[in-house]
Amino acid sequence: MATVVIMPRQGQSVESCIFTEWFKQVGDEVKKGEPLFAYETDKASFEEEAAEDGILLGVFCEEGDEIPVLQNIAVIGQPGENIDEFMADGSSGTQPEAPLEEEAISASPNVESSEVSEEVVVQVKEQGVSGDVKISPRAKKLAEKEAVPYQNLVGTGPEGRVIERDVTAYINSKPKMTPLAKEVAKEEGLQTVEQGSGLGGAVKAADLTSSNPVYSEDFEIKKLPNIRKLIAKAMHTSLQNSAQLTHHLGADARRLLELRKQVKATEGAPNITINDMVCMAVIKALKQFPDANAHFLGDSVKYFNKVHLGLAVDTDRGLMVPVIKNADDLSITGLSNQFKEVAQSCRQGSIDPELLSSEAASFTVSNLGNYGVEMFTPVINLPQVAILGVNTIVPRPADLGGGAYGFVPYMGLSLTYDHQALDGGLATRFLKQIAIEIENLEIDF
Amino acid sequence: MPKSQFIDPKMVRKASKVEFKDIPVNQYDKTIEEEKVNFTKEQLVDIYHDMALIREFETMLNLIKIRGEYEGIEYNHPGPAHLSIGQESAAVGMAYHLGVEDFIFGSHRSHGEILAKGMSAIHKLDDEALMEVMKTFFDGTILDIVSKKHTGDLKSLARRFLIYGTLAEIFARETGFNKGLGGSMHAFFTPFGVYPNNAIVGGSGDIAVGAALFKKVNQKDGIVVANIGDASMACGPVWEGMVFSAMDQFEQLWEGAYKGGLPIIFNIMNNQYGMGGQTCGETMGYDIAARIGAGINRDSMHAERVDGYNPLAVIDAYKRKMELLKEKKGPVLLDVLTYRYSGHSPSDASSYRSKEEIEAWEEQDCIVSYGKELIKAGIATQQELDDIKADITELMKYSMTLAIDDEVSPRMDLIKHPELLGEMMFSEGSVDKMEDRPVEVNHPMEENPRVQQIAKKERFAFDNNGKQFSKIKQYQLRDGLFEAIADRFYKDPTLVAYGEENRDWGGAFAVYRGLTEALPYQRLFNSPISEASIIGTAIGYAMCGGRVIPEIMYCDFLGRCGDEVFNQLPKWQAMSGNVIKMPVVIRVSVGSKYGAQHSQDWSSLVAHIPGLKVCFPATPYDAKGLMNSALQGTDPVIFFESQRIYDIGEQFHEGGVPEGYYEIPFGEPDVKKEGKDITILSIGATVYRALEAAKELEEKYGMSAEVIDARSIVPFNYEPVIESLKKTGRILLTSDANERGSFLKDMAQRITELAFDELDAPPVVVGSRNWITPAYELEEFFFPCKEWMIDAIHEKIVPLKGHVVSGNFTNAEIIRRSKLGI
Repeated sequence: MATVVIMPRQGQSVESCIFTEWFKQVGDEVKKGEPLFAYETDKASFEEEAAEDGILLGVFCEEGDEIPVLQNIAVIGQPGENIDEFMADGSSGTQPEAPLEEEAISASPNVESSEVSEEVVVQVKEQGVSGDVKISPRAKKLAEKEAVPYQNLVGTGPEGRVIERDVTAYINSKPKMTPLAKEVAKEEGLQTVEQGSGLGGAVKAADLTSSNPVYSEDFEIKKLPNIRKLIAKAMHTSLQNSAQLTHHLGADARRLLELRKQVKATEGAPNITINDMVCMAVIKALKQFPDANAHFLGDSVKYFNKVHLGLAVDTDRGLMVPVIKNADDLSITGLSNQFKEVAQSCRQGSIDPELLSSEAASFTVSNLGNYGVEMFTPVINLPQVAILGVNTIVPRPADLGGGAYGFVPYMGLSLTYDHQALDGGLATRFLKQIAIEIENLEIDF
Repeated sequence: MPKSQFIDPKMVRKASKVEFKDIPVNQYDKTIEEEKVNFTKEQLVDIYHDMALIREFETMLNLIKIRGEYEGIEYNHPGPAHLSIGQESAAVGMAYHLGVEDFIFGSHRSHGEILAKGMSAIHKLDDEALMEVMKTFFDGTILDIVSKKHTGDLKSLARRFLIYGTLAEIFARETGFNKGLGGSMHAFFTPFGVYPNNAIVGGSGDIAVGAALFKKVNQKDGIVVANIGDASMACGPVWEGMVFSAMDQFEQLWEGAYKGGLPIIFNIMNNQYGMGGQTCGETMGYDIAARIGAGINRDSMHAERVDGYNPLAVIDAYKRKMELLKEKKGPVLLDVLTYRYSGHSPSDASSYRSKEEIEAWEEQDCIVSYGKELIKAGIATQQELDDIKADITELMKYSMTLAIDDEVSPRMDLIKHPELLGEMMFSEGSVDKMEDRPVEVNHPMEENPRVQQIAKKERFAFDNNGKQFSKIKQYQLRDGLFEAIADRFYKDPTLVAYGEENRDWGGAFAVYRGLTEALPYQRLFNSPISEASIIGTAIGYAMCGGRVIPEIMYCDFLGRCGDEVFNQLPKWQAMSGNVIKMPVVIRVSVGSKYGAQHSQDWSSLVAHIPGLKVCFPATPYDAKGLMNSALQGTDPVIFFESQRIYDIGEQFHEGGVPEGYYEIPFGEPDVKKEGKDITILSIGATVYRALEAAKELEEKYGMSAEVIDARSIVPFNYEPVIESLKKTGRILLTSDANERGSFLKDMAQRITELAFDELDAPPVVVGSRNWITPAYELEEFFFPCKEWMIDAIHEKIVPLKGHVVSGNFTNAEIIRRSKLGI
């Protein structure tokens, strides 16, 4: 019995892959577990091993072809076995379907052709019509295979039974679906659409979810990407396993804004951001509060001599927190450069996974100031004992001295700490120290 | 109706009267003293021994049945035990002169006959021959069992063999004579000339005649005895068998060594009761059963009533009758008067007879009185007789202990081998000829007028331009049958064919035309118009090792041989533990035009019976190929033919029907026309109407139909049909059988079960109406036609645009008809 080789499915959203290489030629003997072919997605390249022993009887694609996932691409079997049936399926996915009208025209005068295509007009019931569906076993099997919502078809068989020709006519009336789209439609009971966005108008899985003429439910359920799963787990664990609370405190931001102005004004100076400067201030404060530069381990506390500063970075793939090792050794310029570098790696997906570990950082800063957030409660990356949330700068009325009051720009600081590790007094003093460092920051550039 | 026999009106219209020969009644009157010249002392004592052996064997069974033990050995035997206690002298007297070449057939009450004939064989065979029988039977299985710890001579070992083998068979043990598949009512042992005993009353009455026919046609030594009860004399098949055995043609038309009567004795074991019905005085009018002989032939079958209570009287009668048979004066009828004390079966309370009657017969008990005579004549002492009895009791205890031991005598293991019995249903042999000797034919095949005529015919129906040759020029279906049958007649010397109008007429449908010239009488002859005897004798003929084609003309006459076709033919291969083969090909013809009793397709009835192969070819190519397969095989085949198409030419097989020999395997359906939108599966002649329907479906509705001809229905390979269905998703089944209970329904169910997911509509059956077949002029309302097929497709499978129905295939109509039973 010949075994068909398919283009593997890569995650929920990948419709097709680029075929890159056959490691075996047609006629070669193939052993189970040997690399058989290579392919790539837009994100990575893969090698697929043979799943069976046998002879590579035929291949249906070559280097550079874009192949819908789940489509047949080769057959492994014994010499002499017929592979036509697999080939037919395999080729159907890439060849655009002939228009229905054409078939109908050619069918009518020609008795050799099936009687099916000339007679049947597809009728779909009004939405909401329910009751038992009469359908022949054969029609049902085909409908299920091709993801046809047969409950909605009007049957043309005896007593209104949906028969094979009704399902076939429906299939012919709709654009071809990619294998993935069929599977998604089957799993989720979706109806196909009139026009697909794939090759030759083929309906892709994405098309199914974007519009849905029959079922108006406005949601889709997607499997979590791995990174999302990791974040979810880490965040949930953090809230479950620590005693978190957040203190909010404002820091006079005039010094920072002044320094930023100087940076901008100085020709050839590196682009040192407000965030870089806040981090510099945090490092200075941490040097004075070793209790905050630590990991809480349940029955012990790990105190760090150096500051390993984690910085939350928002990427397309989700939240990432890369770390700058030994940040306290860096100048403001060095710190700034390193932040830009790791943030870039994260967004490109090339970051060393080591640097994403919450174990690697001794303290984390999460800055939402850019987005105008005025106050939030960041979640600690365990086992770190605290995290600083940096908010936007807002003008606040202040005593300017000498009986004069005016508006002063203040930066909100939100410190979440683990009450298991730190007490409120210490946390408050630490937070206050950060504010002091911000208000009195000195930098060289 | 041979032309050589002139029916002269002057002679047959002359006044005269029928005179009967006297039928002697109980004429034997010799004493042992007088018989001493004919028997040795030993032989006279052996007669006593054999009777006592039977008596003790059945006493043992009786005790097991009514008390659950014998001599302290407990056993429960739930199966039957029809005993003949009281009849021992009749059995021993019957068997005394018979050799192993003489065959006996019996009834449900034949333990005594088995043992009597077995002991007779043991007395007569020398040690070497006995050992050979025991060693070769089932590879010595029984011999191995009874040899353990045996001391004494070979004859006593053989006696153990006989008692144990019979008892193990009665107890349904795999080590029994028929692997436990026959049991009490069917046990037999052919190496000793004991042929099947029959649980159907009178069942042996025609089968035994077939055995005698086999002996005659194949010039075998020996005679045949049909042991049948007095009550069976009312059974049609018994009467038919007797008439068949007494046909004038044996004397008047058969020639040379074949001239003369059949070597058969109808031995009525007249115990005067049929179950509880008293045959003389209540259920029959013959008074003395031997009287029946007077109604059969000029010799009154040499009938005679013999006092079966005296073994010597029966022995004397057999000596005289066997002489007659040797002179080819058969058949013979013997009315052996006897009496059974035991009930019909252990559940019989003997409410139909008085205690006084039983006691009166017991007073004259055949064993006791014969023992007294022996002592009086100084042949044996009471002590010697007592010793014989004691020895027999020990033998019974020994045999019973072994036969009920599950280790020594296991039953067939259907847990370990669940299909063992299934594998025994057919012998599946492929045998050119049943015996290797020259065939008797009148001339070389090429000189045969029919063969010469066929040589000029067109073996394919169409010429190079696709135009049909005229009917007369076409090689027809009947020619295909003829070629296969003629070929086998020239190969297998044992092959015989007979039935109604088989010889001079050439068969009612001209299949055998030409065979009359080719074959001597004993190979092809006309039988009485009595189907039970035609089929019954064929069964007996095959049981003895011959091949036979019985023909019953119309299918509708199957009812006339119902027991033979349903109970005998299909059963004996398995019931014998595969000792017997059954190469019988019954030709039946499905008619039309002749109304209700001449137009029925009963293939479904025979297909229902396990053990028969059934085929129904519809083309010359298939008819010849299937007939070749049927005649090459060793299994019973019901070969259906249709009178609608005997003259049909070959329209399908490219190159026409081959001149040489070829076989079409049973069970393989054939695609007669390929298609892709619907499958039509046909049995028999409807295939041509299915093709007409297919043509109209294509021309009018653009629907391409695949037409499959089942060709045979048992066995049947569903795979090609399922393959077709995978393609088309729809199936219509059709045949000329009336629709209710038709085999098509069985097929439809199987197809649904095997390919449910392939079905786009339920399988639809189009058969004949559940009516009597009306006159020819009204047949279009009865038999399936292309219009009905298209209607059924339209109504049940896929509506056809613009189709106007002519028949009513709606659900409501089906329910209405079913409610009314029509």
